[in-house]
Amino acid sequence: MQNIHLLLVDDEDDFRNTLAKRLIKKGISPLQAENGEKALAILENKRVDVVVLDVKMPGMDGIAVLGHIKEKYPKTEVIFLTGHAATQDGVEGIKTGAFDYLSKPIEFEHLFGKIKQAYEKIKREEEKFEEAEFRKYMEEQMMTTERLASLGTLAAGVAHEINNPLAIINESAGWLKLILSKQEMAGIPRKKDFEKALDKIEKGVERAKRITVQLLGFAKKDDSVFAEVDLVELAEEAVHLVKREATNKDIQIVREIAPDTGTIWSDAYQFRQVLINLLTNAIYATDAGGRITVILEAVGDTVKLTVRDNGQGIPKENMKKIFEPFFSTKPPSEGTGLGLFVTRGIVEKLCGTIDVESRLGDGTSFYVNLPRYCKIKEDLDQDERIRFLDRLANKSKSTP
Amino acid sequence: MIKIPTKVLLVDDEEDFVEMLSLRLKELGEKVSIAYSGQEGLDTLVTTPIDVVILDIKMPGMDGIETLREIKKQFPLVEVIMLTGHGSTETAVEGMKLGAFDYLMKPADFGDLSAKLEGARKRKDEQEERIRKAEVKLLVRKSGGLS
Repeated sequence: MQNIHLLLVDDEDDFRNTLAKRLIKKGISPLQAENGEKALAILENKRVDVVVLDVKMPGMDGIAVLGHIKEKYPKTEVIFLTGHAATQDGVEGIKTGAFDYLSKPIEFEHLFGKIKQAYEKIKREEEKFEEAEFRKYMEEQMMTTERLASLGTLAAGVAHEINNPLAIINESAGWLKLILSKQEMAGIPRKKDFEKALDKIEKGVERAKRITVQLLGFAKKDDSVFAEVDLVELAEEAVHLVKREATNKDIQIVREIAPDTGTIWSDAYQFRQVLINLLTNAIYATDAGGRITVILEAVGDTVKLTVRDNGQGIPKENMKKIFEPFFSTKPPSEGTGLGLFVTRGIVEKLCGTIDVESRLGDGTSFYVNLPRYCKIKEDLDQDERIRFLDRLANKSKSTP
Repeated sequence: MIKIPTKVLLVDDEEDFVEMLSLRLKELGEKVSIAYSGQEGLDTLVTTPIDVVILDIKMPGMDGIETLREIKKQFPLVEVIMLTGHGSTETAVEGMKLGAFDYLMKPADFGDLSAKLEGARKRKDEQEERIRKAEVKLLVRKSGGLS
């Protein structure tokens, strides 16, 4: 109430001043105007929530002022003061949009109550407006999410369908290359040109393929299946899947898995994707003879995954950009710039966080923190989930 | 040295892909049979000796995983390499659990494919060799251990 912007409009100075004094005692300092014209001038420049308006004034009368106010400031509420027993004026005022009317002589407490009511009405309207704005914002957000989701589905579909014709192009070019390498073809004219073009076709296919793979990974984000996930097993699996690549580069992958790592409630497929992405990056950034360490450990209520390499490290100026889509330090024919973008998306969806620490020349560490239990998708697998939560609760009880 | 051809069976509903990959493998001296569905592939295995099956996971009718299961049941010595058009390693892992030798993403790098083909062929040869040795031992024991 103290914050209310009140305007008193009455040509009787004594009445107006007395009223103002009593209001000030209540903690409200009202603006004052002795006629309609001045009142409208104040409204031009100042915010006013409630106007207490006398109907009978020289010059512009109350009804006219009220009409102006309601036309220009529809949110401002007006309390009408009419002469003794002049009900007609009051009714007229309400018809024009006044909040209510009081007949003179007025009782202060009565007027104060009305001012309060009018102010509360304004507050309510404001809240309603804010709520509507918020709802509108949420609806827009949801539309964006849905649009992204359907875009993802579309992208996955396109990527999948494109892989097949890509495979056809790939095999055709490869076959031609083989033929060209035969003894009988040794002497054909412009052989070099053929070889060059075939080489470009193969490289192009390779590039397109990387994009489709990443798009499939991105789109996969939305149909997650949550269940109890054994992280140790998952880490073994992921390391196994990239092992060949690492061995080819003479890179050692070491696992340091704390015995209390245990299980989490998450999406196995997506978590594996995170591991594979981080491992693949690490392999790329590490030189022959290097070493990659995968650490899994329990930290409070979360599980911490660290993928550490002793490779080239990330320059400072790139640290902020590495999670952006299509940012890549690999040559365009090798990287799509979607890897870490997708990885972060997945981690956030699994209620986790991802951080990076890097020093040029020393190597890079990626840290993924995942809660043991992620609240999303609560509707799924009710029974299994409850059993998991029970076990989790028992475990934290037994470990002091 | 004369290369001993690997007897390959290509199973995929993408006819153009099957044709081009089979031409490429044949050019390298492999002996290639083709099938456009899981069932056709199984029928071929009955009539034709095969070392390695290259099997697409996504096919109409009997899909790759189902076909793999049948192959492993009926022809346990035949090695299978799965081909997947998905980004999903999920099905690939499932395939490996069911006994597939390895898997490849489509479009596959030919170097990878060749290496895996050779590995699969080698595993089959070794397996057959072990069986042969075991059979010889069994025979020797049955004949009263003449040696």
